[in-house]
Amino acid sequence: MTGSSACRRFAFAFGPAFAVIYVIALARDLALFTVYPSLGIVLAGTHHARDTVSPSMGFLAPAMYWYGWTATAALGALVFGLAAAILPERWTRRLWSGWVWVVPLGAMMACVYLTLPWFRLYL
Amino acid sequence: MATILLIIHGLVAVALLGAATHQTLATWRHARARPGSFLGRFRAVPSAAFADAIVLLYVLSALLGAVVYLYFRVDVRPGLERGAHWPALGFFDIKEHFVSIGLALLPAYWICWQPPLVGALARTRAALTTILACIVWWNFLVGHVVNNIKGLGS
Repeated sequence: MTGSSACRRFAFAFGPAFAVIYVIALARDLALFTVYPSLGIVLAGTHHARDTVSPSMGFLAPAMYWYGWTATAALGALVFGLAAAILPERWTRRLWSGWVWVVPLGAMMACVYLTLPWFRLYL
Repeated sequence: MATILLIIHGLVAVALLGAATHQTLATWRHARARPGSFLGRFRAVPSAAFADAIVLLYVLSALLGAVVYLYFRVDVRPGLERGAHWPALGFFDIKEHFVSIGLALLPAYWICWQPPLVGALARTRAALTTILACIVWWNFLVGHVVNNIKGLGS
């Protein structure tokens, strides 16, 4: 197992795994942490204003989840990437390299679909 | 501070846009333009030479965007919500999702462009390059439009 081929297996597993886990995190609201920029605090896990106060008070402390979703996906993808890197090369040799762009492309479409509620507000 | 960061973010994005566009057009240059023409010279760049710069600029742009995003959420987005700019908010959400997915593609993209360029990865290399270029273009245009609706400091 050469270093460069392990790096390649890591990179080719990390991208698609990240994309899939990101969509799951987005759809299931699985942020590793929640950022409250106006308060300057970060809480572990996903927190919504409605969990603690009236939804109408949410504007006082807007929550941000993008950082948390990205961290969730990065952590999950790191596991898949490392697993792919330590697997024997013969196990992954037959995998089509195109998955590295087909899966993220599908994930991007899924992200657009999950964003549609914004546009329905306009209709 | 936010305005300065936003301007730097924009400048980095312009550089990234140029590099990504150049590389993508050079990658898909099968239908060669007339030699010596503007398009021909535009496409005839050494594509691999752009890879390091694109990775660096993408990461830098994403980091700057991640910082500016904090100001956006507190100072700008509430105004967009009050003004019912729902499509703009939707487009911006798509931008943030694409940024993350693009970041995760960078390691594979970088490996695909390492010399010697492997012929078996040509299609994967072209696809990753094109996807990244599309992400960069989308993010640049959406960021620009959202900033025009209600920019920082307005």
